[in-house]
Parts: sequence; C-alpha cells; structure tokens
Amino acid sequence: MKDNAFKENTFKCFGQPDEIIHPISKKIIRVVLTGLLFAAAIVLSIAENSLQLPILAPGVKLGLANVVVMYALFFLGKKHAFVLTVLKALFAFITRGPVAGIISLSGGLASVIIMILLSIIFRDKVSYLILSIFGAITHNLGQLAAVSFIYTNLIALVHLPVLLVSGVLTGAATAVLLRFFIPAVNKLGLK
Amino acid sequence: MKLFKKSDLVVISAILLLSLGIWVWYKAYYSQTPVMAAIYYNSELVDTISLEGGRERDFSIGQNRNVVLRLYSDGSIAFVKSDCRDKLCIRSGKLRTVGQSAACLPNGVSVKIIRQKTSDDDLDIVIG
Repeated sequence: MKDNAFKENTFKCFGQPDEIIHPISKKIIRVVLTGLLFAAAIVLSIAENSLQLPILAPGVKLGLANVVVMYALFFLGKKHAFVLTVLKALFAFITRGPVAGIISLSGGLASVIIMILLSIIFRDKVSYLILSIFGAITHNLGQLAAVSFIYTNLIALVHLPVLLVSGVLTGAATAVLLRFFIPAVNKLGLK
Repeated sequence: MKLFKKSDLVVISAILLLSLGIWVWYKAYYSQTPVMAAIYYNSELVDTISLEGGRERDFSIGQNRNVVLRLYSDGSIAFVKSDCRDKLCIRSGKLRTVGQSAACLPNGVSVKIIRQKTSDDDLDIVIG
C-alpha cells in the first residue's frame, strides 16, 4: 500500500543515502530542519545578548544568529533561507521592538541576497569560506545601513574597518564550524 | 562547492588591507583638528559641545532626562546613565575621535563626534 511505501522510504533515507528518497519525505526533512535552525537562531540570539560583547557600531550586533541563515542557504535552499531571515526579524520585532526588527531584517536580507548573487555569478568557483565572510560583512553593513536610515546623523566611514574585520572573523568561524556539519547533512540525503 | 581555496587568501588580504587603509586615512585626516560632540534627539540636532577639555561634568538634554552624559577632562564624552534595558549606549564607552558615535536607541539620544566648525564646510553633517 502507498502508506507502507512512504514509511519504508522515510526510515530508509536516514541510513542509506543512496536509496531513492520519497519526494514528500525530503520536503518534510527540510521543513523540520528549518524549524530546528530557527530554534538554534533564537538560542544564539539570546546568548549574544546576554554576553557582554564589545560594541562594534551603534545598533550593530555581532550576527551570531546569521550563521543559521547561511546554513539554511547552503543545505536547504534559497526559499528556506528567506523564511528564516523573516522569522528571525519577527522574533527580534516581538522581543526587542520594531527598531530591532528592522535592523535584523535589513542585515539578514542584505546577507542572503549577496550570498545568492555570489553563488549565482561564480557557480562552483566560490568557496564556502568566501560566501560566509561576505555574508557576515554584508550582514553588518545591512544593519549599519538600517541604523543610518532611521537615525539620519550616524552615517560614518569610521565604523567600516571594524565591521570589515569582524565580518572576516565571523565568516571564518562560520566556515570552520561548517566543516563539521557537512558530513552529517550529506547523510540526510537532501541534495 | 569547496570549503576553502588558496585564492581565498587573496580576497581576505584585500579586505583587511582595505580596512587598514580606511582606518589610517581616517586617523591621519581627522586626528589633528579640535572636536565637538553633536547631540541629537530623534535625529534632530539638540546641542553641540566643545570637547576641548575642562571640568568633568554630567548633564542630560532637556528633551530626555533619562539619559545622562558625562564630559571628561581628557576631551571625551560618554553615556553614563540610562534607563534602557540593554545599556548598549553606556557600553560604547568614551567617544573622542571624529566620526565616532554612540546612541541610546530606545531613548532616541545619539552623540556623534564632529570637527569644530571653523569654516563653512559641512562635510560631517548629513542632511536628511
């Protein structure tokens, strides 16, 4: 029966990636992973706010939670990455207020759009490291742009060096962590 | 897609060199001139204060008494008290170089360091 075939394939895919996976179970896996990543984003966001991290520029956060959006883009696809960006911004809006929500959305969208553009323009020639770094940098720049737009007098080039360097460091850290996730994700057989 | 390529080092070095360049240029261009602190409330300029050194004193702007700023005798200014939740403004520390800024977004108070206005060039004020 159709039911049994579905169950069979769903459980099969976890152990043997070479099996043909039932198309619906792939979708379910993606949705579940998106939910898990969102939960991870919430935890990272709370952690980032509790730790007394150095201030880079007014309104700009370190962007630890943006790692989650990057992983969604790498493993789940563009749609899920956008969904996560919006979810994160909604979370910021609900917990920290409308200004924080706008800043989060601005940084998140800038990051995702740049990463998608880079992966389209360069195809396979670009590495995860460069994508992560540019994702982190544009995340910070997007946040700074939102702050400058809302508070029109705070635009200053003086913040650029700090943001660029911290973007490189955060991007590098993200890429290093990625190395440990790739084998596990491949086993899920999403690609 | 590969995790890391040799050519990535070129891109990273370029970014780091660019940041270094901007930092050096900014320091060289702006460090010699006397500075003032421009204080804004909700994007409107409220006051400009010379940071030329003098007595250390605490003050707050008339529009919002929940935020306290302090002028230091070494020519810097900082947020010292605020009723906001995150206290990001206070954690921004002392501001002294042109272009540096800090803000208490919940209270709408922001401070930016600008050059002392001796001529008509308005490079540091963004209109709009």
